[in-house]
Amino acid sequence: MAELVKLIGLDFGTTTSSAVVALASLTKTATGRMELVSPEEIFRSEMVFTPMLSNERIDLDQVKLLVDSWLEAGKVQAGKLFGGGALLTGLTAQKENAAALVRLIRGRFDDALVATADDPCLESWLSFMGSAVGLSRQHPEKAILNFDIGGGTTNLALGRNQQVLRTGSLFLGARHVQLDPGTYRIAKLSTYARNVFAHLHIDKGPGEHLLETEVAAFLNFYLSILDAVGGSITDFLTLPIVKCLIQVPFQMPTDVRDAVITFTGGVGELVYRHLQGEPWPTTTKFGDLGIDLAQRIVQSPIWMTSLRHFRPKSAGRATVYGLLQHSTEISGSTLFLGAPGILPLADLPILGRLSSEDTDARIQEVLSWVSRSSRGGCVQIRIGGQQASLVRNFGERVSRILTEIAFPATLPLVLLVQENVGKVLGQYVTRWGSLRLQLLVIDEVNLRDAQYVQIGASQHQIVPLSFYGLTPESGM
Amino acid sequence: MKQFAPQENIDVPDPKPNQIYRSRFFDREFAFHGLKRLLGAADCSKAGDRHAGLAAQSEIEREVARTLLSSLTLQHLFDHPLTDNDGKVDSVMRVNYDIDREAFASIADLKLGELKDQLLRSSGEEIQRVGRGLTGVMAASLAKLCDVHELIFVAKKVNKTTKARTLLGAPGTLSSRLQPNHPTDDLRGITFLFYWGLSLGTGDALIGLNPAIDTVDNITSVLHHLDKLRRRTNAPTQICVLAHIKTQLGCLERGAPVEILFQSLGGTEGTNREFDITVDLLDHAYRTMLETGPLKDKAQQFMYFETGQGSEYSYGKHNGIDMTTTESLCYGLARRYDPFMVNNVTGFIGPETHLDSFEMILANLQDHFMGKLMGLPMGMAPCFTLHSNITLEGQQIATELLTAAGANFFMDVGLNTDRMLAYFDTSGHDNQTLREIHGCLPSPEYLEWAMERGIFALNGDGRVFRGPNWGDPRQFCESEAEFQDLVAGTPALYGLNNAGPRPANAVARQVRINQGLGREAIHAELRLDDLQRIAPFRVVVTEASSKEEHLGSPDLGARLSVKSRDWLMAENRQVQIVVSDGLSAEAVHHNLEDLLPVLMDGFAGRSITTGQPIVARYGRVKLAEPLAEQLQCDLVVHLIGERPGGDALASRSLSAYLAYRLGDPAVQREAVRFCGNPAVRYEYTVISNIYSGGTPPAEAGGVIVDKVTEILRHHAAGNRLENLLKNKDNEQRQD
Repeated sequence: MAELVKLIGLDFGTTTSSAVVALASLTKTATGRMELVSPEEIFRSEMVFTPMLSNERIDLDQVKLLVDSWLEAGKVQAGKLFGGGALLTGLTAQKENAAALVRLIRGRFDDALVATADDPCLESWLSFMGSAVGLSRQHPEKAILNFDIGGGTTNLALGRNQQVLRTGSLFLGARHVQLDPGTYRIAKLSTYARNVFAHLHIDKGPGEHLLETEVAAFLNFYLSILDAVGGSITDFLTLPIVKCLIQVPFQMPTDVRDAVITFTGGVGELVYRHLQGEPWPTTTKFGDLGIDLAQRIVQSPIWMTSLRHFRPKSAGRATVYGLLQHSTEISGSTLFLGAPGILPLADLPILGRLSSEDTDARIQEVLSWVSRSSRGGCVQIRIGGQQASLVRNFGERVSRILTEIAFPATLPLVLLVQENVGKVLGQYVTRWGSLRLQLLVIDEVNLRDAQYVQIGASQHQIVPLSFYGLTPESGM
Repeated sequence: MKQFAPQENIDVPDPKPNQIYRSRFFDREFAFHGLKRLLGAADCSKAGDRHAGLAAQSEIEREVARTLLSSLTLQHLFDHPLTDNDGKVDSVMRVNYDIDREAFASIADLKLGELKDQLLRSSGEEIQRVGRGLTGVMAASLAKLCDVHELIFVAKKVNKTTKARTLLGAPGTLSSRLQPNHPTDDLRGITFLFYWGLSLGTGDALIGLNPAIDTVDNITSVLHHLDKLRRRTNAPTQICVLAHIKTQLGCLERGAPVEILFQSLGGTEGTNREFDITVDLLDHAYRTMLETGPLKDKAQQFMYFETGQGSEYSYGKHNGIDMTTTESLCYGLARRYDPFMVNNVTGFIGPETHLDSFEMILANLQDHFMGKLMGLPMGMAPCFTLHSNITLEGQQIATELLTAAGANFFMDVGLNTDRMLAYFDTSGHDNQTLREIHGCLPSPEYLEWAMERGIFALNGDGRVFRGPNWGDPRQFCESEAEFQDLVAGTPALYGLNNAGPRPANAVARQVRINQGLGREAIHAELRLDDLQRIAPFRVVVTEASSKEEHLGSPDLGARLSVKSRDWLMAENRQVQIVVSDGLSAEAVHHNLEDLLPVLMDGFAGRSITTGQPIVARYGRVKLAEPLAEQLQCDLVVHLIGERPGGDALASRSLSAYLAYRLGDPAVQREAVRFCGNPAVRYEYTVISNIYSGGTPPAEAGGVIVDKVTEILRHHAAGNRLENLLKNKDNEQRQD
């Protein structure tokens, strides 16, 4: 089976914003599962500066015009979009009116794509999936740590065999120190940069020129943090000045040694372009320290082996490609849609995780949380097998407990099951239709450490899903 | 371009009463009642003709028939058109008489034996001239008189070239149709097989995909995808998706790149009715391609037909005519449209038409001979299914002989294993091996492209050889990640290592051991004791009394034995569960334990009444119907093993056929209105691919119970049900 569908990725970063539109084929694999394959980029916007009214406010009117121009150029009709994602990343997510921008985008796309802000772990996850996942597939045995260095933040994601294991985020980026292009004359300093300058005894502010030694000291400090995080040098990370640069702490698993290091984001792009033989851009061409940071990374012996042998895909646009290709997941194709009318569901909280080994008391606890949530909720389930006896046993227990706690018949209850047993589990939970519930059982969905899920309307017997509100252990 | 005569302008002599052809040999009398019987007896013995009662009983009888046949004149055959069961000349026979009358006049008085000798003495051009004066029956008669050397020798002299983007059939060439089939049309698998085939130097005749889903939407998408790949690789070839001709015309109307138009042909009008085609439709399709086909200004030909001995017999529409002759009648029909390619797939159906390698090989040589003689660009696909006794060795022998005979092209089915149709055909490796053994090259345009890409190269003595990039599909991928992604979407892929033009031993061993496993699943007996432990089954018996009978005669397994019929009484329940082995007892053994309890729970939970489950050894799909009649149930859930293919796990794949009995006259009227067949008594919904690698059995149980509930609620199954549900869904959306 093949049907062409359109996807979009929109990234509103600290410095720049961009969009990518792709056509992908919705196809059925030999196992009967539907997947999105062969995405082909049909439109890639220029990288534009994220429109700002002030330091703290995004220019929503300009963003609206920008989005409209992208949609027109990408020939996207909002109602005909299959999926994708929009993310306010880096420091943009912390602007006063970030929530208003999210609302604007959601309204523009009728909830066909996930739009969210201030989700640094999702950002880390997406940048890994948008760039390093190909390398990870090629080298399934290797742990890969990706630093996505943008203007305001550096997002870390550690993955192995195409799965992200850990994520984290730092307030480190190319644009904390803004300069007059072609010079090292300071134009603007972020609060974070001021703190670091103070720590390094660099007593300079806007209008003043940085000395070569000061630039070096500042960048060395940055690189030390990256190295410490990647190499789990915990002492350094406990310094108060370093701690205040950590947005989401990254914990390197103790069993990971010699992770391959990759760089993405604008700085990553400069690094790999240079390694491919392109000359460096002229001094501080982009009005920040991005080029200098890239030069330092290339010169550092610590990352030399990784840089020489491993190159991620589309480094400069990792996040937006991640949004495009990985923010929409596809369910299995035999679902229990007891109440299809309640779809699409946005911002559904994921309230717990159950397995067939859990006690009745635990099942009751989790289901009670859902029953007390005014919007209903979602429970992730791993049965541990696809045998009829396991599914029947678990389904009948859930059914009995739902009756015991008098689960409201009008409240959405969504079970996300890892195994391909959605249809039959729903049958046992509802006792073949006799228990009145607003129940959806969506199967073949990997368990994710996320706080929310958005579930689209059913099409071709599948539903599209997007997870957000990711935690540092997101992934599997 | 070809101009064909309107059907009504083709003169065919009036049918005549059957003549008795008599002969005496030593002290034995032989009599053949009618030309059909004589033609049947004169052929080598093949399963389909034996089942149809047409094959000779002995070698003596066959040789007597051949002697008699060789003494008949061409004029005699001309004057005695074979008729359908109503004694009429059907449209296929009529079209067969659209011959070059001048050429026919030059041989009309020759006896068939004399003409055979003349052909053996003639040049290729002379054979082609004579061929234009032959009907299918005449060509088939000649084939029956030829031995293996003669079938090859005559055909070898005939070159039939055709031209689209590439030139096919030139002397010294051997082309191939790349067939990148995937069980669900997964574009990644299709893309991988496309790239792999090109890297093996195949696909110069056609990239032709058999689709899993025959809808205008799907076929249009797949055509655009193939077109994209062709443009991306810049390979000089043409593309085709082998959907029904009506679907392809629908795609063409939407502007899809229907470069070559495909259709399967039968040798009788009745068979073509089963294929939902008529001569008028084919005429219309040809004209449409001539006017609007995307290659109309480039290609000299653009039609592609597939044929194969036995389809007429297997549909019960052979009109008492043997398999070779009906096949030849297909060629008489194909010739009308000057096709770009004709592909012969004799061996595809199963043991009911061709039992073993010998029958398949001989049939292929006959088909190739007849096609070439009648001026067709014959490609060959000697092939087999695992439930016949044909082996890969037999198939390979056929390809060597057919290459010697000058076949225009073979198929490239990756590692011989068709991932969708569960059968085995020639591979890209086979094509290259044959090219090297027999000194053949791909078509000139394709060769030039492949040389540029390093797929082929010149060796020290100036001969074309496998180049450095031969067999490496990575050359067409943008990245290793893309390559791995494509591999992940391709089942039954056991490695890309090669040894010369062959797959490396480790790869070949995996292919063969999986074939072994598939055959074992087919020949395994249903373990009734194990099944009784899952649920107390009633055991019924079909008319097939052994595995051999079951495999060789599909109709026996579709009927209940008299004893079982007498034993079963009307129960008037809603649903009856029936389990049978079909073509894989292992599929039953591996799935029933997790499937049956869910079905029983589900029907009880939905208050659907059921009879005690039934198991039948040696059952076929249609066994559901006599069971439903006896039990007077509304619906039979028939759980039956699917035909194993090349994927080891898929040998365990089970299907559920939900056979809905149209017992209520009002419902039956609705069904007739929907499908147009006044005799319709059952509607079927099928849920297939039930196994751990597809829909796991417990989940399938949930799916089946839901579907049964829908069928009973809406009093409809199959396409009529899906149509009702779709309309209902649309109404709700509008509300």
